[in-house]
Amino acid sequence: MTTDATATAAHGRRRPGIPLGRIAAQLCAWTYALMLLAPLYYLLVSSFKTNAQIFDSPLSPPTSLSFGRFATAISDARLDLAIANSLIVTVSSLVLVLVLALPASYALARAGGRTARVIERAFSLGFLIPTFAALLPTFLLAAELGLFQTRTFLILFLPATSLPLAVVLLTQFMRTVPQEVEEAARMDGAGSVTILVRVYLPMVVPGVVTVGILSFLQYWNEYLYSLVLIGPDEAQRTIQVAVPLLRSSLETDFGVLAAGTVVTLLPVYVAYAFLQRRMEGAMIGSAVKI
Amino acid sequence: MATGTLPSPGTEGGSAGTPGARARGRAPRTTVMAVPALLWYAAFMIGPIGAIFVISVLRWPGMLARVGFAGWDNYRAVLSDELFWSAVRNSAVQLAVAVPVMIVFAFMLGYHVSTKPRGYRLLRVIIFTPALISASAKAMIFYGLFAPRGMINYVLGAVGLDSLTHTWLADASTAFGCIVAIDIWAGIGYTATLYAARLSALPESVYEAAELDGAGHWRRMWGIAFPMVKDYVGVTVMLQFLWTLFTSAQNVLLLTQGGPGNASTNLSFLVYQKAFLQSDLGYSQAAGVLLFVFGLTGMLAIRRVFRQSY
Repeated sequence: MTTDATATAAHGRRRPGIPLGRIAAQLCAWTYALMLLAPLYYLLVSSFKTNAQIFDSPLSPPTSLSFGRFATAISDARLDLAIANSLIVTVSSLVLVLVLALPASYALARAGGRTARVIERAFSLGFLIPTFAALLPTFLLAAELGLFQTRTFLILFLPATSLPLAVVLLTQFMRTVPQEVEEAARMDGAGSVTILVRVYLPMVVPGVVTVGILSFLQYWNEYLYSLVLIGPDEAQRTIQVAVPLLRSSLETDFGVLAAGTVVTLLPVYVAYAFLQRRMEGAMIGSAVKI
Repeated sequence: MATGTLPSPGTEGGSAGTPGARARGRAPRTTVMAVPALLWYAAFMIGPIGAIFVISVLRWPGMLARVGFAGWDNYRAVLSDELFWSAVRNSAVQLAVAVPVMIVFAFMLGYHVSTKPRGYRLLRVIIFTPALISASAKAMIFYGLFAPRGMINYVLGAVGLDSLTHTWLADASTAFGCIVAIDIWAGIGYTATLYAARLSALPESVYEAAELDGAGHWRRMWGIAFPMVKDYVGVTVMLQFLWTLFTSAQNVLLLTQGGPGNASTNLSFLVYQKAFLQSDLGYSQAAGVLLFVFGLTGMLAIRRVFRQSY
């Protein structure tokens, strides 16, 4: 292939006439983008409006930027407690999943035996288990352990659901650490735990970040298990469970509901604003692993 | 990044070559470090999954009721239940509509983004946003949109289509359609992000011949790009199939509670409803086992379809 041809191919300018296909694609793509943005815009402007304003002019920008509805949402559904509970669950589960997955993936990356291979296979099959299926047995387990309607059980349980991904991802990262580095440390008399913490951990930080991002998203956004295992107790429930309770069978205040929903979305979008590339990378990488 | 660090078999080979005594002395000690994770995984994931099968053969008419052995009775009850079959129909329709629409549009969108059109950076950020929204927030957003006086009815009225306005979530003819629409709305963007990443990783030279041929957008997309990533498309079809089949109980629960009547009850919601709203634990888990089998069969079928041409 001549360099000339390569250049034209790269720029895509050789075709005669108007590139109708591309124009149509661009049109469709932005129509879909608009369909994604419109509901979010509606949500955001609604959180500053009364029901009458939402019903009569849903698309117009709010007339005043008062945060009254946010305050109402927070006090009505005790979102302050719910946010605290969600943070406790998310952070504790995050720590737990790393404490469990890091030694496991170190072991699997370094041990060459058949046992290790079988264990790794068992974890990678875990991707295919739809966690929803086991909702009832998990609920019964919580009751059996005397941890029903507590955050504690959720903190113990959630890491198990993301262990397959965490172990498989981290094992792949650990395998990239050169054997020589470990051998040198072992000569100096370091034990396995020391080697994991001092040698491996600093070298697999990108993997830890990826697992951290995915787990954060999963734990913060988790709804069904939180609903069933913790229930509606104000002191224990998470924000995902609390916000839908702002609906009322008589007359929902859509502004307050919208404000509450915005509150649940904020932490995730703030994190996305700072970690855009890493978050996309983590989400894409996790799907590829299956 | 994750995709860049595939396991290298060379490392493992190297470990086998180290002096025997040291390798043997080390291997057991490190493998032990996998035990806590394994136990955790067994206790909270494998155990409960296995328990589904056990509970499905028990007579268990309520959380606090006495438990007895039911044999195949629960399965017989499920299979002769009109509600179960209407839930199967709903799930089948949901999968048959949501998954193909999602995948085809996502592929076209992903391909388009991968060609780096004007404004593609912004486009990529926008189409990724639904992946970040939780199930309950998504449901609350659509609760507002589909409300009798919500945005959708307002827009229909504003463009003179008053006749199309509905009480979307409370109307038996539209309730389940709304659930499917939400799946598609969110699913296209996330799947397209995956395809865009995959297609961008293909070398430019892949398209060269077609370029010289004067092949248009459509032919390059389906004739060249698609076959290159076909097995990956298979993976995403499998993912969306499982998610749609299993996790849509959340949207149903939050938006329609399976109603009106049972118009929007699908399989996963039926499993939830029988367990937690009607306390028929045996029935619920028998339906759960059938759901599980359905999922597994579907997954294997999808694998076959997307592997066939190789």
